[in-house]
Amino acid sequence: MSNQAIGNSKPARHVPRTRPIDRNEVYVYEAPIRLWHWINALAILTLAVTGYLIASPLPSLGGEASDHYLMGYIRFAHFAAAYIMIIGFVFRIYWAIVGNIHARQIFLPPIHKAKWWAGIIYSVRWYLFLVKEPRKYVGHNPLATFGMHFGFIWLTVFLIVTGLALYGEGAGYDSWQYTFFSSWVIPLFGQSQDVHTYHHLAMWGMVIFVIVHVYAAVREEIMSRQSMMSSMFSGWRNFKDDLPMDKDH
Amino acid sequence: MMESFYDVMRRQGISRRSFLKFCSLTAASLGLGPSFAPTIANAMENKPRLPVLWLHGLECTCCSESFIRSAHPLVKDVVLSMLSLDYDDTIMASAGHQAEAIVTEIVEKYKGNYILAVEGNPPLNEDGMFCIIGGKPFVEQLRYAASNAKAIISWGSCASWGCVQAARPNPTRATPVHQVITDKPIIKVPGCPPIAEVMTAVVSYILTFERFPELDRQGRPKMFYSQRIHDKCYRRPHFDAGQFVETWDDEGARKGYCLYKMGCKGPTTYNACSTVRWNGGLSFPIQSGHGCIGCSEDGFWDKGGFYDRLTNIHQFGIEENADKIGMAAAGVVGAAAVAHAAVSAIKRARDNGDKQS
Amino acid sequence: MTIQTPNGFTLDTSGKRVVVDPVTRIEGHMRCEVNVNDQNIITNAVSTGTMWRGLEVILKGRDPRDAWAFVQRICGVCTGTHALTSVRAVEDALGITIPENANSIRNIMQLTLQVHDHLVHFYHLHALDWVNPVNALKADPNATSLLQQSVSPSHPNSSPGYFRDVQNRLKKFVESGQLGPFKNGYWTNPAYLLPPEADLMAVTHYLEALDFQKEIMKIRTVFGGKDPHPNWIVGGVPCAINIDGVGAVGAINMERLNLVSSVINATIEFVNNVYIPDIVAIGGLYKGWLYGGGLSGKNVLAYGDIPDNANNYETANLMMPRGAIINGNLKEVFPVDLRNPDEIQEFVPHSWYSYADEKKGLHPWDGETTPKFELGPNTVGSRTNIQQIDENGKYSWIKAPRWKGHAMEVGPLARYVVGYAAGHTEITDQVKDLLGRLNAPVDALFSTLGRTAARALECQWAAYKMRYFMDKMIANLKAGDSATANTTNWDPSTWPKEAKGVGFTEAPRGALAHWIKIKDTRIDNYQCIVPTTWNGSPRDNEGNIGAFEAALMNTKVEVPEEPVEILRTLHSFDPCLACSTH
Ligand code: HEM
Ligand code: HEM
Ligand code: NFV
Ligand code: SF4
Ligand code: SF4
Ligand code: F3S
Ligand SMILES: [Mg+2]
Repeated sequence: MSNQAIGNSKPARHVPRTRPIDRNEVYVYEAPIRLWHWINALAILTLAVTGYLIASPLPSLGGEASDHYLMGYIRFAHFAAAYIMIIGFVFRIYWAIVGNIHARQIFLPPIHKAKWWAGIIYSVRWYLFLVKEPRKYVGHNPLATFGMHFGFIWLTVFLIVTGLALYGEGAGYDSWQYTFFSSWVIPLFGQSQDVHTYHHLAMWGMVIFVIVHVYAAVREEIMSRQSMMSSMFSGWRNFKDDLPMDKDH
Repeated sequence: MMESFYDVMRRQGISRRSFLKFCSLTAASLGLGPSFAPTIANAMENKPRLPVLWLHGLECTCCSESFIRSAHPLVKDVVLSMLSLDYDDTIMASAGHQAEAIVTEIVEKYKGNYILAVEGNPPLNEDGMFCIIGGKPFVEQLRYAASNAKAIISWGSCASWGCVQAARPNPTRATPVHQVITDKPIIKVPGCPPIAEVMTAVVSYILTFERFPELDRQGRPKMFYSQRIHDKCYRRPHFDAGQFVETWDDEGARKGYCLYKMGCKGPTTYNACSTVRWNGGLSFPIQSGHGCIGCSEDGFWDKGGFYDRLTNIHQFGIEENADKIGMAAAGVVGAAAVAHAAVSAIKRARDNGDKQS
Repeated sequence: MTIQTPNGFTLDTSGKRVVVDPVTRIEGHMRCEVNVNDQNIITNAVSTGTMWRGLEVILKGRDPRDAWAFVQRICGVCTGTHALTSVRAVEDALGITIPENANSIRNIMQLTLQVHDHLVHFYHLHALDWVNPVNALKADPNATSLLQQSVSPSHPNSSPGYFRDVQNRLKKFVESGQLGPFKNGYWTNPAYLLPPEADLMAVTHYLEALDFQKEIMKIRTVFGGKDPHPNWIVGGVPCAINIDGVGAVGAINMERLNLVSSVINATIEFVNNVYIPDIVAIGGLYKGWLYGGGLSGKNVLAYGDIPDNANNYETANLMMPRGAIINGNLKEVFPVDLRNPDEIQEFVPHSWYSYADEKKGLHPWDGETTPKFELGPNTVGSRTNIQQIDENGKYSWIKAPRWKGHAMEVGPLARYVVGYAAGHTEITDQVKDLLGRLNAPVDALFSTLGRTAARALECQWAAYKMRYFMDKMIANLKAGDSATANTTNWDPSTWPKEAKGVGFTEAPRGALAHWIKIKDTRIDNYQCIVPTTWNGSPRDNEGNIGAFEAALMNTKVEVPEEPVEILRTLHSFDPCLACSTH
């Protein structure tokens, strides 16, 4: 069975990639994916802002301690967003299994395929203005898949694991977070402070991912041969020409 | 006849009632319920003294100094009635070969029935000759004394983690005890130094219950090292409220605000300071206005300035923390994106122009 | 073969060599070797520092504001004195001044250390050189009680029943067969001279002092948060004072001040009622044992400490004496300049370090610390099993500091000799009083016992000075000044590109200084010369022997295999090896 499928008006699975393209619109991002994408984006935004403020708090408030709970609220927002992100991520994994073929693309980059790597090189060349035209893909281009997989999936796993390890410290010895995360993550890093440091550093990794990702999304919307941003709202990918798809992915 | 702890207390004019009170206090300080008091009392009344060899490697003797500050039990009672401190070069009467003979005697005579307490650690560079005892490397004495020990207590951050002499670049290759002695149970009691009453509580726990305290994954007694300073810090309400000391001796400092912004490592430090406190429960670093420096944590010397919240990341050079690295990288990426956008726009304009012409 | 040292000692290595390793009841690791002639008189002495950790190396490249925490861990016995020295060095380099209250609190903490360290040293490290606990079993508790009441009428613990209890406890202890720390002591050695009653009284005070010492350190716990290793900051002290405002419970308040005050009172009492009377009683009974003078009657050095007013480190403002005495001439006290490259220098020809040019000494600002472990050709044994050290080669982890080329003794006795020579009235009064009570001449000071006595006097002096600074601080608070820190130059961006400074204190064991060079806000060089570096110094390239070695010379040892006399004299310096080598 082919690993490539093109959707049509109805989300369909496992449609042979060899099928000729009969229209300039493909249904790529199913509604749950789109919903997840935007919730996740908001959660991460919240996490980055609150995380930064946890490490470098706002100027002090005066008055009685019992009158305020600023740091508490910031941390609460961080943890609430964190759990939304975690649940979303678990759901996203589930959807990678039950959703359409595009839903698992960023989880399973075909790293064993030379053609895919060649596609990455081609994409890099496109971004370096070395080729005139980008190739045409239904899902992510190979470079995007690469970035999504390593720059998003694994970074997210890292943030979740270290985040839960930190959470377990406050939740205490008897919490599941401590048992399943803190208990081995902290010794692995050496000590608690190092876990904070690398969790914090990973935030910057995520910030960089988002900068590149959003820039690329906007740019590709304008410069490439297919729709981008709008696809994440509608689910449909519009192609600006009728030329055939690239087959390396 | 061996003298028991209870005999001693009785002769000191201490009534049975206050003796039992002492036992319940001990039970409480060990985090045990009042129902344990009779067990402690029984142990104190009947046990002979357990031989202890207390060795010193590369260290500063602050662990011993801390130990003698113990208020309950008093160290005089520990030494006279609970343990038989047969070798401790800091306080023992004999010296030279008469002192060395004691190590041999205990190792031979009490096979598997003595405790080895280690303060400090062995250096491994220069064949171990950065710490010499009796003309030989300390590490040899350590290995020999450990050979028949029932268990080892690693006092302080030196024995547990390496501490100050193991800070970068660790010129002597000072090495924590558990990396040299790998075939014995080791109880780590970290801290620079550990709290006196925590040290004596660990000892009394072993004597009382005839077993070692439950340890966490890093080998520390759970009863004292399973929570962070921050979890039980009395300034925590100010942390949650967002009230921080911003500079030394400011308004916040005088009101006892949270020391987080002054670099307090309480949120990442496992120790009993904020509950047991120091010198008979009198104070602890934070209560006296200075942040925790994380002295019971592995490698706390090399995590960056004591007054910085963020840790240094050595792979990126000595002064780089996560924000500096992250912001720099994000800045570079952001700038690259802007530049890329500019080039793209120019190119697009030119391409469009080409198409039109 | 005999050698004449430039500093006036005749060394003869022909006799029997006696090795003491480990030297116990000191801080850290030390070895001592002596030669004794056929009358059992010491004719050559070699002292070796047998540990090194490399703090000076570790400090390179770090934040100068953190240095105090590292150097504080040079020693947990004289805990805090290195930290104080360090913050002073950094403040000196960066021109940072501290508030008056910070000065008072720092002084109280330093004086508390002096009292504590001296007390613990005498009772728990030194006493067993003079006191025989086994002999105390023979004492009559009634007679002991009378003795106690005669030497110290105001000490409350003096009843026969009290001494009987202690004796019984001791008896059971000894009968248990588990002698613990007293095991293998030299209890049958004829060098012990006290009658059983004095032994029992002293052993009792060993236990009393053990209980009491922990009270003293409460003062440092109030201000520094814990002890050992309290906290400090560059620019003042970390504890804020708030005596009547909102949230005062979060700072140093009236309750805390009362606590400190009551501990000070109890301390003065303990020193007056126990320590000083014991020194008079024990000293009186050993009066004839006047060995161990060494360098004390020749070359002594003190930097001074305890600035009365903040930020003034001139001699006149220092309550502990400052100056140097050379060749025993008490008529002239030389000024000491820690910045002068020609005054203080460290040499390494007999130390396990290398210099580019080992013939020269280096001033600490240009100091180098490069370890180099090598043994002289006449070493007996092997590299990792030294049976006899070769003092003609490198033989110690301690460097050899010299003041204008002279080996110097530092410590309480040195301070008291300098103070006495300088006419420091508090000191001369104390010394005259003690000498009068012991019916001894001034020269008796230059001995092992003199060192032990000076330490006790200084402990008493320091206890009263704690009260002085407490009162001073209260007066200052009353006048409305409650500042404890100056943060103007806290931020490294305010610092010059390069700076250098020196900080000094009088640590319990003697003159202590740290020299720092700062470059681009980081430590470029950090060098410490520590009291036990002076006293435990090995030979220099001229062949001058250090204070330990000098003090052991010409001492008679009753039983060479049982080194009580060697321990006595070494202990009288209160050696700290972790300090000396750092
Ligand atoms: C925290 C912020 C964000 C994160 C973590 C994030 C993450 C992701 C991920 C993981 C995907 C892949 C979805 C999949 O294949 O399952 C994706 C796709 C996409 N995102 Fe985001 N996103 C963020 C913000 C945004 C924003 C602000 C935009 C719009 C400007 C955007 C536009 C898109 C588009 C257009 C796609 C589809 C790209 C393609 O098909 O190659 N994202 N995003
Ligand atoms: C995109 C995802 C995330 C980002 C950007 C992020 C960012 C941050 C940052 C910057 C900090 C401050 C670290 C420090 O220097 O001490 C922090 C702390 C923390 N984060 Fe996250 N985080 C993320 C996800 C998570 C997740 C999934 C959890 C899981 C519960 C979590 C839990 C925590 C906890 C417990 C802390 C410590 C709070 C404290 O010390 O008071 N984070 N986070
Ligand atoms: N020598 C020395 Fe110290 C003292 N007193 C330090 O400066 O003991 Ni550890
Ligand atoms: S752990 Fe700290 S206090 Fe204990 S010996 Fe080591 S340096 Fe000293
Ligand atoms: S002072 Fe330190 S331990 Fe206490 S609440 Fe603040 S950060 Fe936590
Ligand atoms: S510095 Fe150490 S003493 Fe306690 S509060 Fe922090 S662990
Ligand atoms: Mg030095």
